[in-house]
Amino acid sequence: MLLVLEDSHKKHLAFLSQVDVDVVREFCRISMEFIRKGSNPKVYQSAAQKLGVEAQTVQHGVEGMMYLLSESSKLMLSEIDFQDSIITLGFSEELCSLLLELYLANRNEIRAILSHMSMDLPHYHSLQWRFDVQIASRSLHHQTTPQVLLKLETKDGETMDTHLLQTDPVNLLHLTQVLDAALQEMKSPYCRRIARNIK
Amino acid sequence: MELGASVVENLCLAGDTAHIPDKCFDQLARKACRGVLSETDRNAIADDPSFKAVDKAVLKAAYSGVVALVLEAVKHDADANGISHFLEECKFTPDRIQSFNNIFLTQKPSMQILLGSVGSCRPHIVDVDWRLDYYIKSNHMERINEAVYLISLKTEVPGQTELQEVQFSCSLEQLQDLVGKLKDATKCLEKQAQS
Repeated sequence: MLLVLEDSHKKHLAFLSQVDVDVVREFCRISMEFIRKGSNPKVYQSAAQKLGVEAQTVQHGVEGMMYLLSESSKLMLSEIDFQDSIITLGFSEELCSLLLELYLANRNEIRAILSHMSMDLPHYHSLQWRFDVQIASRSLHHQTTPQVLLKLETKDGETMDTHLLQTDPVNLLHLTQVLDAALQEMKSPYCRRIARNIK
Repeated sequence: MELGASVVENLCLAGDTAHIPDKCFDQLARKACRGVLSETDRNAIADDPSFKAVDKAVLKAAYSGVVALVLEAVKHDADANGISHFLEECKFTPDRIQSFNNIFLTQKPSMQILLGSVGSCRPHIVDVDWRLDYYIKSNHMERINEAVYLISLKTEVPGQTELQEVQFSCSLEQLQDLVGKLKDATKCLEKQAQS
């Protein structure tokens, strides 16, 4: 699968071939910072002054680089696909291999950032359990009622929810058996076939 | 087992053959136990034809005394001896004590279960549903290809008739963690049960 770049993108990225390799590395570092924390116009100004070009050119170059890296990470391009995609930009071989190296080094981090942006359901964080025996209450003085208390923590984005639940030994056994069967289901031939064939 | 002075007075009334004839007493004891167990039968005694001969005020006092006795006896897990001893002090005849014990002791286990369930508790898990999805892509990212489990715990919440659900998602590793912890809890329970 190839990344298709529009003409405007290609124009913005053309600036990169006019500068040193070290500058391109610096631009990549700036792009990654911007992907992590958001853009900062002051950096464009200072870079533009140092290189003797307009601030807007620098801005387009950095933004073009951000788009290239984030789209490639989103589509999880393989090395060959990435190289084939940037061939159309007409960069030197040194620049192409540098871009490939930067892509491979940063793609996992970019994918982690993208996954935070995606929709997330409240997911399991931890479970603590406790075994109690109720021996008396106000209404009944002589009891031996076993109880299992569960503290389930789920995380939804940034917020953590705590659920205090209880169950009895019979239901605990049932719960364990059903969830164990669910886990085994992933190892069944049908699920393995699906996982193998969807790539 | 202790009962207040007014309750003891009512019980003496219930034990008095002049006010509550023998053949009515059995019915009174049965109705008291039935009233504790079933909400709809709580006031059934008011319309019962077998108590036509009894004065209404006396019947009401006797009924309340017997119900209070039944509840206290269940609460303290009283046996036949304890109840007999108590009823002798209320001047019950031995026959009445015997028939009360017979009726009460057969109903005691059900009433104990009922009283044991009184009280607040946390949502009680009764069932679990799960669903296995394969997460392929989203609008922010492609080629994700991960298994995602959606778990729904069905809980009974005191005060609500419908089951409430606690839903969350799990990756494969998270579910393995969860099942591991549940298996630990189960093993601990089995060890406790055996020892």
